[in-house]
Amino acid sequence: MSAPWLDVLDDTIRACAAHNRPDLAERLRDKRARQLDPKLRVLVIGEPKQGKSQLVNAMVNAPVCAVGDDVTTTVPTFVQHAETPSAALVRGASIANTPTERIPVPIDQLASQVSANQGGHGGELVRAEVGIPRALLDSGLVLIDTPGVGDLRPAHTASTFAALLQADAVLMVSDATAELTKSELELLKQVMTSCPNVVVVLTKIDIAAQWRRVLERNRAHLARAGVTAKLIPVSAALRLRAAKTGDKALNAESGFPELLACVQQDIVAASDVLARRTVAVAAASAIKQLVAPVREELSARATEGPGNTIATLNEAQRRIDELRRRSARWQTVLADEMADLVSDIEYDLRDRTRKILREVDKTFETADPALGWDKFEAWLEDNLTEAATTNFAWLLDRSEWVAEKVAKSFPVARDDLLPESIFPDDVLDRVAPMDKPVIEKFSLVQKAFTGLKGSYGGVLMFGLATSLAGMPLINAISLGAGALFGGKTIMDESDMRLRRRQAAAKAAASRHVDDFFIKFSKDCRDAARHIQRSLRNHFSTLAEELQETLLESARSARRAVQDDNSERERRNRDAKRELDHLVGLYQRVQALAGGQTPPLGISA
Amino acid sequence: MMSSGQMSSGQMIAGETLEQEVWALLEDALTVYRDSPRAVAWLRGHQARFGEPVRVAVAGAPRSGKSTVVSALIGEEFVPTGATTWYQDGPQPKAHVGQYEVPVARRDGKAFVDAPDAERVVVEWPSRSLRDLTLIDTPAGTPVEHVYGEADAVLYLTRHMHTTDLQFLQTAHDHPVARVAPVNTVLVLARADEIGGGRIDALSSAKQIARRYRREATVTPLCQNAIAVAGLLAVAARTVRQDEFAALAALASLARTELEDHLLSADRFVGEDFPVRLDPAVRRGLVDRFGIFGVRLTTTLIRQGFDTQVKLTGQLVQRSGLGELRDSIGIYFTERREVLKARAALLGLDVVLRAEPRPGSAGLATALERILASAHDFRELRLLAALQGGRTRLPGELDAEASRLVGGLGTDPLVRLGMDYEPTESELRHAVLDTLARWRDHAMDPALDHGQRRAASVVVRSCEGMLTQLVG
Repeated sequence: MSAPWLDVLDDTIRACAAHNRPDLAERLRDKRARQLDPKLRVLVIGEPKQGKSQLVNAMVNAPVCAVGDDVTTTVPTFVQHAETPSAALVRGASIANTPTERIPVPIDQLASQVSANQGGHGGELVRAEVGIPRALLDSGLVLIDTPGVGDLRPAHTASTFAALLQADAVLMVSDATAELTKSELELLKQVMTSCPNVVVVLTKIDIAAQWRRVLERNRAHLARAGVTAKLIPVSAALRLRAAKTGDKALNAESGFPELLACVQQDIVAASDVLARRTVAVAAASAIKQLVAPVREELSARATEGPGNTIATLNEAQRRIDELRRRSARWQTVLADEMADLVSDIEYDLRDRTRKILREVDKTFETADPALGWDKFEAWLEDNLTEAATTNFAWLLDRSEWVAEKVAKSFPVARDDLLPESIFPDDVLDRVAPMDKPVIEKFSLVQKAFTGLKGSYGGVLMFGLATSLAGMPLINAISLGAGALFGGKTIMDESDMRLRRRQAAAKAAASRHVDDFFIKFSKDCRDAARHIQRSLRNHFSTLAEELQETLLESARSARRAVQDDNSERERRNRDAKRELDHLVGLYQRVQALAGGQTPPLGISA
Repeated sequence: MMSSGQMSSGQMIAGETLEQEVWALLEDALTVYRDSPRAVAWLRGHQARFGEPVRVAVAGAPRSGKSTVVSALIGEEFVPTGATTWYQDGPQPKAHVGQYEVPVARRDGKAFVDAPDAERVVVEWPSRSLRDLTLIDTPAGTPVEHVYGEADAVLYLTRHMHTTDLQFLQTAHDHPVARVAPVNTVLVLARADEIGGGRIDALSSAKQIARRYRREATVTPLCQNAIAVAGLLAVAARTVRQDEFAALAALASLARTELEDHLLSADRFVGEDFPVRLDPAVRRGLVDRFGIFGVRLTTTLIRQGFDTQVKLTGQLVQRSGLGELRDSIGIYFTERREVLKARAALLGLDVVLRAEPRPGSAGLATALERILASAHDFRELRLLAALQGGRTRLPGELDAEASRLVGGLGTDPLVRLGMDYEPTESELRHAVLDTLARWRDHAMDPALDHGQRRAASVVVRSCEGMLTQLVG
């Protein structure tokens, strides 16, 4: 059974073709393809050790995600449909602009390879991808297992929030051994702001004897927090065992049938509503454009007189000229604004990094980098990441503002003037990971050698002096002096080493910050360029469409002038019929969107 | 013990113990503040606290198993009161809210103190564990300052180290006195039985996780030790009843495969058509008290031959991590009673000095700082914290030896020296002298840097302390 929106869309596409508008038809066909092949991303999120990975495994009945007793999941894992089981690790680009690297691995080794990454050396691992043949995933569902939020290593958490941006729905996981904590509720609220489609899954009900009470309490917590989300209790252990033994009753007991039904109904079905809405908007805009020339033609005929038809023709010509003149304007606005944006963003980033560097310098005026370097490194990393995130968020904000400004300077006002999304999907992958600077260690042997070197001078100096007094070269005084000199040299040397270490640390930090700046500003510039390109494409398509519409009206006006009377009669009838057809189609579109598109504003 | 309390800090003699020095300082403060009833009451309170057993607060996030751990340590199951509850030793069970006695009732076999809106409940309970220890069960959400202000040491409970836990511990270490005398905190993974979905080997992996926390750079400086404890199992071990044991034995008499399906989940365990004749209420009781993991483990243990109540209890105490927890409390808290008490008293004095500054208080503040800086016990603690946190590193084996000698594993001379046998007096003496000589060399070794030599001299001082202990 095809969805109702599909019929309407197909009819609209046919109407576009019939009205000589292949450009519109193309655009709608594009939309149709995207709606027919939706990747529905469902994010599995929650605090560490709540059973997220095990939940995903139990949903697809296969050990695709690594599970363990300690922190295990370190990168998001994408589980999607594939004809044959396959798996791959995706590593981040080492140089900006090169695409991410995808390394296929045997599916049974994926789990161990991902957790092997934990050591931190393979820090550039971005995500893991798994494809398995499952009916559940058939509809384009992608399950994304994420690292726990609130873990001691903030890097894991960051990738979870990056994945959240692309999610269509979220399964929030909390185990039944304890109620939702304050931090979990906060996380839930945060999730709701970017993706309102949330189901709370209560896991591990097999080991919690009191899970029913926890369920009730959680329900109360959710109500109090004003979160309207379904709560589903499940047990992955029971489900996996049921799969092994083929025990239907046990499967029912695990709560998974209910969860899967909920995913099907609330998430997959909800996607249909979403699709209907976007399709309705696109189709409505196309029909409006089709209606305009027909109406033009009709009104041209209604006035009948050739003087009027000539006036209409002139008017159409004038509007085409106007459009050409104004399209130059929006192009200038776009180019200017984007140039400003890039330099502002770069200035902001430079300012932020300079502040960090100043802080570093201040710290290493006094502190010894050999002690607490790890802490410093973490601090630096945190600060840089923060600077990068704020800077990047600003870039996104500004570019949206630019889009609006360009839209304003566009010749006509339309509903779909603003692009849906101008940001590249992989924009977040592009921020390259950072290398750690090394700090030289110095050996004790060197120290002893320095001491000896100093003491040698002392022995010689005083030995010579005292040898004048007839004592041997090596005597008590010269040896004493030697020891003193040695001590002093070591002191001086270690002081000097401290200063050298501080200088080295400063240099390492500033080199690191510079590297970061260069890499990140390049990334930002790339992103900005990408955004500019997509904005330009978007607006030029719109402009072309508009021009085509105007030309069509001009052509029909010209035809009206040329046509003889009887022909005119026939065409009049045709045009009326076409208009009726289009209005009918528009009404269907309106029904589809649930009355959310504005009325067409014409009467046939 | 407090005979030298009358001595004023001005005439302190060398070799005076930390306890005496702090006591004298408190006496001085009482003289300075004699006209301020509030300060006097506060200082007298701290003097009284000085003679009490060590106060150990049990803190942590909600549902992290605080009351369960308290119950396990005391050996009696208590219903959480929802208020800060103090458990002290006493001749018979008694409970107070303020000055009023409240009844201690029994509810489902648990001790229950009926004090609904109280803020603070004091329970007296006859228990050997409470003889040199006062336990404070703090409700979740108690501010850090209260927890660490009332207690001398803290057991911090968590299910899984979360950033909020880290923040709590970091705040506790932020006080100026706390920084120079590192707080004694032991991290407890208190619901170890739930790790890995209650698998039969959950406890050994919990122990591994605890070991990882001991090495985690962000956690190590904040606590002296990290241990895994299966709270439910520990309570059950100490309070298992005859009828419960009989029920467990009946379960264990079934073959493993026969029982397996019914141990899959808590729901199944209390469900219909059970292979043994056991009342559902009994089964419900078992799963509530032991947890599904506890039932799995105990039946396996009974099958493996721990088939009497005594044998089973012994196994459970060991496996649940309760033994290790008690050892840690002994090593880090009760053995260090003196320094912990002194630290608490100095913290208390610091509050008075800052709240009510007056002409005499400058001198007291100096004396306080002097004790903090020079008292050997504090220097030992600081060195220990520096070694554990990696701020001070000694080459090779020396690192571990130094932390052992300054009392990282316990303050008994045998433990400090790392002797695993009972030596004769002369053997012990030789060992101490030998260690002392070696560390004196290290303290003057030019190959070590200044910080390392200072660390070595603290170790030397610890060895000298042992020597005087032997002679005296």
